[in-house]
Amino acid sequence: MGTLQKYFKQSATYKIFTGVYDTFYDFVDTLGKITQNGIQLIKALIKGGIDRKELIYQCSRFGVSSLPITLTIVGMTSVIVASQVALEMVKQGGGNFIGMMMSILIVREVAVIMSGFAIISMIGSSIASEIATMRVTEQIDAIRVLKVDPVSYLFVPRVLSGIIMMPFVTIIAAAVGVLAGAVTSDLFAGLSYRAYFDSAWLGIYMKDLWVSLLKAVFFGGTIALISCSCGYYASGGAKGVGLATTKAVVWSFVAIVVWDMIFAVAFFF
Amino acid sequence: MSIEVKNLVKVFGDKKVIDDVSFKVNDGETLAIVGFSGSGKSTILKLISGLLEKDSGEIITSKGDIAMVFQYSALFDSLNVADNIAFALHERRDLRKKFTEDEIKEIVKQKLELVGLKGIEKLFPSELSGGMQKRVSFARAIVTEPNTILYDEPTAGLDPISSTLIENYIVRLKEETNAASIVVTHQMSTITRTADRVVMLYNGKIVYEGTPSDMLKQDNEYTKQFVTASLEGPMKMMEGN
Ligand SMILES: Nc1ncnc2c1ncn2[C@@H]1O[C@H](COP(=O)(O)OP(=O)(O)OP(=O)(O)O)[C@@H](O)[C@H]1O
Ligand SMILES: [Mg+2]
Repeated sequence: MGTLQKYFKQSATYKIFTGVYDTFYDFVDTLGKITQNGIQLIKALIKGGIDRKELIYQCSRFGVSSLPITLTIVGMTSVIVASQVALEMVKQGGGNFIGMMMSILIVREVAVIMSGFAIISMIGSSIASEIATMRVTEQIDAIRVLKVDPVSYLFVPRVLSGIIMMPFVTIIAAAVGVLAGAVTSDLFAGLSYRAYFDSAWLGIYMKDLWVSLLKAVFFGGTIALISCSCGYYASGGAKGVGLATTKAVVWSFVAIVVWDMIFAVAFFF
Repeated sequence: MSIEVKNLVKVFGDKKVIDDVSFKVNDGETLAIVGFSGSGKSTILKLISGLLEKDSGEIITSKGDIAMVFQYSALFDSLNVADNIAFALHERRDLRKKFTEDEIKEIVKQKLELVGLKGIEKLFPSELSGGMQKRVSFARAIVTEPNTILYDEPTAGLDPISSTLIENYIVRLKEETNAASIVVTHQMSTITRTADRVVMLYNGKIVYEGTPSDMLKQDNEYTKQFVTASLEGPMKMMEGN
């Protein structure tokens, strides 16, 4: 039996199954921890007593410091899309629809998703590594011994700043994106600004804007919560900080794509 | 009775790190816990302070705050020295509105002077030496006037004079507040100067309990090995898991 067991444990089948099991276990475990942190966060919010200074600092970190990268990414995406399709559409007689297409695309999806990606890579990763470092250097233990709730001290200002700032970032990004589309269409296809904006105006409804802003609220909160939570449960030194940061980034990416799908199904079908 | 530990057990994985440990620390008394690296000393402090969940047994502490001085200082590196020390006063729900900023400034100054530091309020932890960090973390821990104080190697890495300063302060604090204290240490000077009693841990069990002066008599094989820092004796290094 002993030898049999040994061979069994070396077999590829065993390794594959335990590998799958471990991955699945880790998935459920992480999801559970994030949910639990989410509930603690809501409780802390209800209790109130938010540190204003810290909230303002986190807001400026979330909204202002990420802006150059976010705007670059969203602007570039519009330039790329417009340069690819503008000339073709003008040739086919669809010049009047370029503005509409660009504005729908940008307001509904590109602005918020690309801002989300930019924020994840800049802010989410830094939140996760910051909190993970606090964990592995026992700073979170020190917070607990001093009878301060780490969730309300660390999570609340960060998640709130995400919820507050992400809509602003999205609005600015959308404006820059639509504008970049106009400039590009003019340069590549000779489309007048007037034609572009007339059609853009027709394309966007109030609903698009509201859904987009609501998405931004969810994206911002989710990215901050996941990043905090992944950092919070880090363990084991520098390597643990690295793992936690990677995990935060991957989970945030997947989460906002899932949110986006849910929103698309819920509001546009 | 201020700290009472009964049949405490803590398991990590399949290793019993704390194996049926019982002891008592009265108010106004200081207990030193000594033992090899990895014998579970920090784990006991973390169990008492509630940072770790015990697997079985009982821990009874009297009401009021428990303070802990961490082995590696654990200062908040995004806050300066003053904000580190005032952390509980700024952030704890029940203390938040109790003091004005000026009063807090005064308290911070006082606590810093107690540990022999002055004028470093605006510095960040990364700008301090290891020994200074240790002393700041000491000041941070006692800012809430706790009545149970846990020190994890408070003098490790300090020069002899700073060690004496801290040791004197541990004694003074105990006398002033009548707190029950536990000091984890490897340093003989800290044991003899601060402790009323000593317990020695080995493999998660208590192998010796007595007074510091009894410990120096070396009539127990374990303490003899510890005091003489000998490789020969009942305790073997090379343990691992
Ligand atoms: N979170 C943890 N997970 C798993 N094992 C742990 C954990 N914390 C401590 N241990 C193990 O418990 C044992 C005791 O650790 P502890 O930190 O209490 O030792 P210590 O007596 O304080 O040592 P030192 O003098 O080096 O500080 C060690 O074998 C360690 O590997
Ligand atoms: Mg230790």
